[in-house]
Amino acid sequence: MTEDAHHPKAMSPVEQRVAALEALLTERGLIPEGFVEETIHHYESEIGPMNGARVVARAWADPRYKERLLADGTAAIAELGFGGAEGEHMVVVENTPAVHNVIVCTLCSCYPWPTLGLPPAWYKDPPYRARMVREPRALLAEMGCQVPRDTEIRVWDSSAEVRYLVLPQRPAGTGGMAEAELAGLVTRDSMIGVALL
Amino acid sequence: MNISDLGVPRRNGELAFDAPWQGRVFALAAAVVEQAFGGDREPFRQQLVKAIAAEPDRPYWESWTAALEALVPVLPLRPAG
Repeated sequence: MTEDAHHPKAMSPVEQRVAALEALLTERGLIPEGFVEETIHHYESEIGPMNGARVVARAWADPRYKERLLADGTAAIAELGFGGAEGEHMVVVENTPAVHNVIVCTLCSCYPWPTLGLPPAWYKDPPYRARMVREPRALLAEMGCQVPRDTEIRVWDSSAEVRYLVLPQRPAGTGGMAEAELAGLVTRDSMIGVALL
Repeated sequence: MNISDLGVPRRNGELAFDAPWQGRVFALAAAVVEQAFGGDREPFRQQLVKAIAAEPDRPYWESWTAALEALVPVLPLRPAG
Protein backbone atom coordinates (compact mmCIF):
# COMPACT_ATOMS: atom_id res chain seq x y z
CA MET A 1 0.00 0.00 0.00
CA THR A 2 2.71 2.46 0.98
CA GLU A 3 5.13 1.06 -1.52
CA ASP A 4 6.87 3.59 -3.73
CA ALA A 5 5.51 3.12 -7.22
CA HIS A 6 8.90 3.87 -8.71
CA HIS A 7 10.59 1.09 -6.78
CA PRO A 8 8.10 -1.76 -6.76
CA LYS A 9 8.88 -4.97 -4.92
CA ALA A 10 9.62 -8.03 -7.00
CA MET A 11 6.39 -9.45 -8.37
CA SER A 12 4.94 -12.60 -6.83
CA PRO A 13 4.36 -15.58 -9.16
CA VAL A 14 0.68 -14.80 -9.56
CA GLU A 15 1.39 -11.13 -10.22
CA GLN A 16 3.80 -12.22 -12.93
CA ARG A 17 1.14 -14.45 -14.47
CA VAL A 18 -1.38 -11.60 -14.47
CA ALA A 19 1.16 -9.23 -16.02
CA ALA A 20 1.88 -11.82 -18.72
CA LEU A 21 -1.83 -12.21 -19.41
CA GLU A 22 -2.23 -8.46 -19.64
CA ALA A 23 0.68 -8.16 -22.08
CA LEU A 24 -0.63 -11.01 -24.23
CA LEU A 25 -4.22 -9.80 -24.31
CA THR A 26 -3.13 -6.24 -25.01
CA GLU A 27 -1.05 -7.49 -27.92
CA ARG A 28 -4.12 -9.30 -29.22
CA GLY A 29 -6.00 -5.99 -29.18
CA LEU A 30 -8.47 -7.15 -26.55
CA ILE A 31 -7.79 -4.53 -23.87
CA PRO A 32 -9.03 -1.08 -24.84
CA GLU A 33 -6.93 1.73 -23.44
CA GLY A 34 -7.94 2.64 -19.91
CA PHE A 35 -10.35 -0.31 -19.67
CA VAL A 36 -8.61 -2.02 -16.76
CA GLU A 37 -8.49 1.11 -14.59
CA GLU A 38 -12.06 2.10 -15.42
CA THR A 39 -13.37 -1.36 -14.67
CA ILE A 40 -11.59 -1.54 -11.32
CA HIS A 41 -12.89 1.89 -10.37
CA HIS A 42 -16.42 0.98 -11.41
CA TYR A 43 -16.54 -2.18 -9.32
CA GLU A 44 -14.78 -0.68 -6.33
CA SER A 45 -16.74 2.54 -6.18
CA GLU A 46 -19.88 2.67 -8.24
CA ILE A 47 -21.70 -0.58 -7.82
CA GLY A 48 -22.48 -2.33 -4.61
CA PRO A 49 -25.19 -3.20 -2.11
CA MET A 50 -26.35 0.42 -1.93
CA ASN A 51 -27.98 -0.23 -5.30
CA GLY A 52 -29.82 -3.31 -4.08
CA ALA A 53 -30.85 -1.41 -0.95
CA ARG A 54 -32.62 1.15 -3.13
CA VAL A 55 -34.49 -1.62 -4.92
CA VAL A 56 -35.58 -3.17 -1.63
CA ALA A 57 -36.65 0.17 -0.15
CA ARG A 58 -38.71 0.98 -3.24
CA ALA A 59 -40.40 -2.41 -3.01
CA TRP A 60 -41.23 -1.81 0.65
CA ALA A 61 -42.58 1.66 -0.06
CA ASP A 62 -44.50 0.96 -3.25
CA PRO A 63 -46.61 -2.21 -3.44
CA ARG A 64 -47.06 -1.88 -7.18
CA TYR A 65 -43.29 -1.69 -7.68
CA LYS A 66 -42.93 -4.77 -5.51
CA GLU A 67 -45.39 -6.62 -7.72
CA ARG A 68 -43.38 -5.71 -10.79
CA LEU A 69 -40.14 -6.62 -9.05
CA LEU A 70 -41.34 -10.10 -8.16
CA ALA A 71 -42.86 -10.62 -11.62
CA ASP A 72 -39.85 -9.42 -13.64
CA GLY A 73 -36.82 -8.59 -11.52
CA THR A 74 -34.60 -7.50 -14.39
CA ALA A 75 -37.10 -4.94 -15.72
CA ALA A 76 -38.06 -3.55 -12.31
CA ILE A 77 -34.40 -3.18 -11.28
CA ALA A 78 -33.69 -1.42 -14.59
CA GLU A 79 -36.39 1.12 -13.67
CA LEU A 80 -33.97 2.38 -11.01
CA GLY A 81 -31.12 2.46 -13.50
CA PHE A 82 -29.33 -0.73 -12.50
CA GLY A 83 -28.37 -3.43 -14.95
CA GLY A 84 -25.55 -4.89 -16.96
CA ALA A 85 -23.10 -7.72 -16.46
CA GLU A 86 -24.40 -10.47 -14.15
CA GLY A 87 -27.76 -8.76 -13.88
CA GLU A 88 -29.43 -9.75 -17.13
CA HIS A 89 -31.70 -12.42 -15.66
CA MET A 90 -32.71 -11.32 -12.18
CA VAL A 91 -35.15 -13.20 -10.02
CA VAL A 92 -36.17 -11.56 -6.75
CA VAL A 93 -37.29 -13.91 -3.99
CA GLU A 94 -39.36 -12.51 -1.14
CA ASN A 95 -38.87 -13.38 2.49
CA THR A 96 -42.06 -13.82 4.49
CA PRO A 97 -42.82 -15.15 7.98
CA ALA A 98 -43.26 -18.56 6.31
CA VAL A 99 -40.27 -18.59 3.94
CA HIS A 100 -36.65 -17.48 4.26
CA ASN A 101 -34.59 -17.33 1.06
CA VAL A 102 -30.82 -17.50 0.72
CA ILE A 103 -28.58 -17.44 -2.32
CA VAL A 104 -25.45 -19.39 -3.14
CA CYS A 105 -23.40 -20.38 -6.16
CA THR A 106 -22.30 -23.97 -5.63
CA LEU A 107 -19.94 -24.16 -8.61
CA CYS A 108 -18.18 -20.82 -8.65
CA SER A 109 -19.17 -17.30 -7.64
CA CYS A 110 -22.24 -16.21 -9.63
CA TYR A 111 -23.76 -13.17 -7.94
CA PRO A 112 -25.92 -10.20 -8.97
CA TRP A 113 -23.23 -7.59 -9.57
CA PRO A 114 -25.42 -4.58 -10.51
CA THR A 115 -27.39 -4.75 -7.27
CA LEU A 116 -24.85 -6.20 -4.81
CA GLY A 117 -21.43 -5.50 -6.31
CA LEU A 118 -18.79 -8.23 -6.27
CA PRO A 119 -19.33 -11.05 -3.79
CA PRO A 120 -17.69 -11.09 -0.36
CA ALA A 121 -14.82 -13.54 0.17
CA TRP A 122 -16.85 -16.03 2.21
CA TYR A 123 -19.44 -16.34 -0.56
CA LYS A 124 -16.73 -17.69 -2.86
CA ASP A 125 -15.21 -20.06 -0.33
CA PRO A 126 -15.81 -23.82 -0.42
CA PRO A 127 -17.43 -24.09 3.05
CA TYR A 128 -20.23 -21.65 2.22
CA ARG A 129 -20.80 -23.10 -1.24
CA ALA A 130 -21.05 -26.65 0.05
CA ARG A 131 -22.71 -26.21 3.41
CA MET A 132 -25.44 -23.76 2.42
CA VAL A 133 -26.98 -26.50 0.33
CA ARG A 134 -26.36 -29.35 2.78
CA GLU A 135 -27.23 -27.72 6.08
CA PRO A 136 -28.54 -24.21 5.53
CA ARG A 137 -30.21 -23.80 8.91
CA ALA A 138 -27.07 -24.74 10.83
CA LEU A 139 -24.80 -22.58 8.68
CA LEU A 140 -27.16 -19.60 8.89
CA ALA A 141 -27.20 -19.95 12.68
CA GLU A 142 -23.39 -19.99 12.71
CA MET A 143 -23.45 -16.80 10.66
CA GLY A 144 -25.68 -15.21 13.28
CA CYS A 145 -28.90 -15.60 11.34
CA GLN A 146 -31.45 -17.42 13.47
CA VAL A 147 -34.30 -18.43 11.20
CA PRO A 148 -37.39 -19.37 13.23
CA ARG A 149 -37.84 -23.14 13.42
CA ASP A 150 -41.17 -23.12 11.61
CA THR A 151 -39.91 -20.93 8.75
CA GLU A 152 -39.02 -22.88 5.62
CA ILE A 153 -35.56 -22.16 4.20
CA ARG A 154 -35.22 -22.05 0.43
CA VAL A 155 -31.72 -22.12 -1.05
CA TRP A 156 -31.31 -20.68 -4.54
CA ASP A 157 -28.31 -21.90 -6.50
CA SER A 158 -27.31 -19.26 -9.05
CA SER A 159 -27.03 -20.96 -12.38
CA ALA A 160 -25.35 -19.89 -15.58
CA GLU A 161 -28.27 -17.59 -16.35
CA VAL A 162 -30.28 -16.59 -13.33
CA ARG A 163 -29.06 -14.31 -10.54
CA TYR A 164 -31.13 -14.05 -7.38
CA LEU A 165 -31.72 -11.19 -4.98
CA VAL A 166 -33.46 -11.67 -1.65
CA LEU A 167 -36.18 -9.19 -0.73
CA PRO A 168 -35.91 -9.08 3.07
CA GLN A 169 -38.92 -8.53 5.28
CA ARG A 170 -39.53 -4.92 6.17
CA PRO A 171 -38.65 -4.42 9.83
CA ALA A 172 -41.49 -3.64 12.23
CA GLY A 173 -41.85 -0.04 13.35
CA THR A 174 -40.69 1.49 10.06
CA GLY A 175 -44.16 2.54 8.88
CA GLY A 176 -43.41 6.26 8.88
CA MET A 177 -40.02 6.08 7.19
CA ALA A 178 -39.26 7.61 3.82
CA GLU A 179 -37.72 5.49 1.10
CA ALA A 180 -34.21 6.87 1.52
CA GLU A 181 -34.35 6.16 5.22
CA LEU A 182 -35.60 2.63 4.54
CA ALA A 183 -32.71 2.03 2.14
CA GLY A 184 -30.34 2.81 4.99
CA LEU A 185 -31.69 -0.15 6.93
CA VAL A 186 -30.98 -2.70 4.22
CA THR A 187 -27.72 -4.64 4.52
CA ARG A 188 -25.84 -6.61 1.89
CA ASP A 189 -26.14 -9.78 3.94
CA SER A 190 -29.92 -9.42 4.20
CA MET A 191 -30.12 -9.37 0.39
CA ILE A 192 -28.00 -12.54 0.17
CA GLY A 193 -30.24 -14.06 2.83
CA VAL A 194 -27.61 -14.65 5.51
CA ALA A 195 -28.98 -11.96 7.83
CA LEU A 196 -32.35 -10.78 9.08
CA LEU A 197 -33.26 -7.14 9.53
CA MET B 1 -10.81 -8.06 11.35
CA ASN B 2 -13.72 -5.99 10.19
CA ILE B 3 -12.98 -3.86 7.14
CA SER B 4 -14.62 -0.88 8.83
CA ASP B 5 -11.84 -1.03 11.41
CA LEU B 6 -9.40 -0.03 8.69
CA GLY B 7 -11.08 3.32 8.23
CA VAL B 8 -11.52 2.69 4.51
CA PRO B 9 -14.66 4.42 3.29
CA ARG B 10 -16.72 1.71 1.68
CA ARG B 11 -20.32 1.72 0.61
CA ASN B 12 -19.79 -1.80 -0.55
CA GLY B 13 -19.37 -3.57 2.78
CA GLU B 14 -15.84 -4.67 2.00
CA LEU B 15 -13.16 -4.01 -0.53
CA ALA B 16 -13.74 -5.72 -3.84
CA PHE B 17 -10.05 -6.60 -4.20
CA ASP B 18 -7.40 -7.33 -1.59
CA ALA B 19 -4.51 -6.54 -3.93
CA PRO B 20 -4.10 -4.59 -7.18
CA TRP B 21 -3.41 -7.71 -9.28
CA GLN B 22 -6.83 -9.10 -8.31
CA GLY B 23 -8.56 -6.05 -9.75
CA ARG B 24 -6.43 -6.26 -12.87
CA VAL B 25 -7.14 -9.91 -13.55
CA PHE B 26 -10.83 -9.30 -12.90
CA ALA B 27 -10.81 -6.49 -15.46
CA LEU B 28 -8.82 -8.55 -17.98
CA ALA B 29 -11.49 -11.24 -17.88
CA ALA B 30 -14.18 -8.58 -18.28
CA ALA B 31 -12.37 -7.27 -21.35
CA VAL B 32 -12.06 -10.74 -22.87
CA VAL B 33 -15.77 -11.40 -22.27
CA GLU B 34 -16.69 -8.16 -24.01
CA GLN B 35 -14.10 -8.01 -26.75
CA ALA B 36 -13.63 -11.66 -27.67
CA PHE B 37 -17.01 -13.19 -26.81
CA GLY B 38 -19.37 -10.32 -27.49
CA GLY B 39 -20.51 -10.13 -23.86
CA ASP B 40 -21.11 -13.87 -23.40
CA ARG B 41 -19.64 -14.76 -20.00
CA GLU B 42 -20.37 -18.47 -20.26
CA PRO B 43 -17.02 -19.53 -21.80
CA PHE B 44 -15.14 -17.82 -18.98
CA ARG B 45 -17.56 -19.05 -16.32
CA GLN B 46 -17.05 -22.64 -17.44
CA GLN B 47 -13.28 -22.25 -17.14
CA LEU B 48 -13.75 -20.72 -13.68
CA VAL B 49 -15.93 -23.63 -12.56
CA LYS B 50 -13.25 -26.06 -13.81
CA ALA B 51 -10.43 -24.12 -12.17
CA ILE B 52 -12.23 -24.06 -8.82
CA ALA B 53 -13.15 -27.74 -9.05
CA ALA B 54 -9.54 -28.66 -9.90
CA GLU B 55 -8.17 -27.00 -6.76
CA PRO B 56 -11.01 -26.17 -4.40
CA ASP B 57 -8.76 -24.69 -1.73
CA ARG B 58 -6.74 -22.46 -4.03
CA PRO B 59 -7.31 -18.74 -3.33
CA TYR B 60 -10.23 -17.49 -5.39
CA TRP B 61 -8.43 -14.91 -7.54
CA GLU B 62 -5.71 -17.44 -8.36
CA SER B 63 -8.41 -19.76 -9.70
CA TRP B 64 -9.75 -16.79 -11.64
CA THR B 65 -6.26 -16.27 -13.09
CA ALA B 66 -5.98 -19.96 -14.01
CA ALA B 67 -9.38 -19.77 -15.71
CA LEU B 68 -8.30 -16.84 -17.84
CA GLU B 69 -5.05 -18.61 -18.73
CA ALA B 70 -7.04 -21.65 -19.81
CA LEU B 71 -9.27 -19.50 -21.97
CA VAL B 72 -6.44 -17.83 -23.89
CA PRO B 73 -5.68 -20.77 -26.22
CA VAL B 74 -9.33 -20.98 -27.28
CA LEU B 75 -9.93 -17.28 -27.84
CA PRO B 76 -11.54 -16.41 -31.15
CA LEU B 77 -8.83 -15.17 -33.50
CA ARG B 78 -10.42 -11.79 -34.01
CA PRO B 79 -12.41 -9.67 -31.61
CA ALA B 80 -16.12 -10.27 -32.08
CA GLY B 81 -18.29 -7.56 -33.57
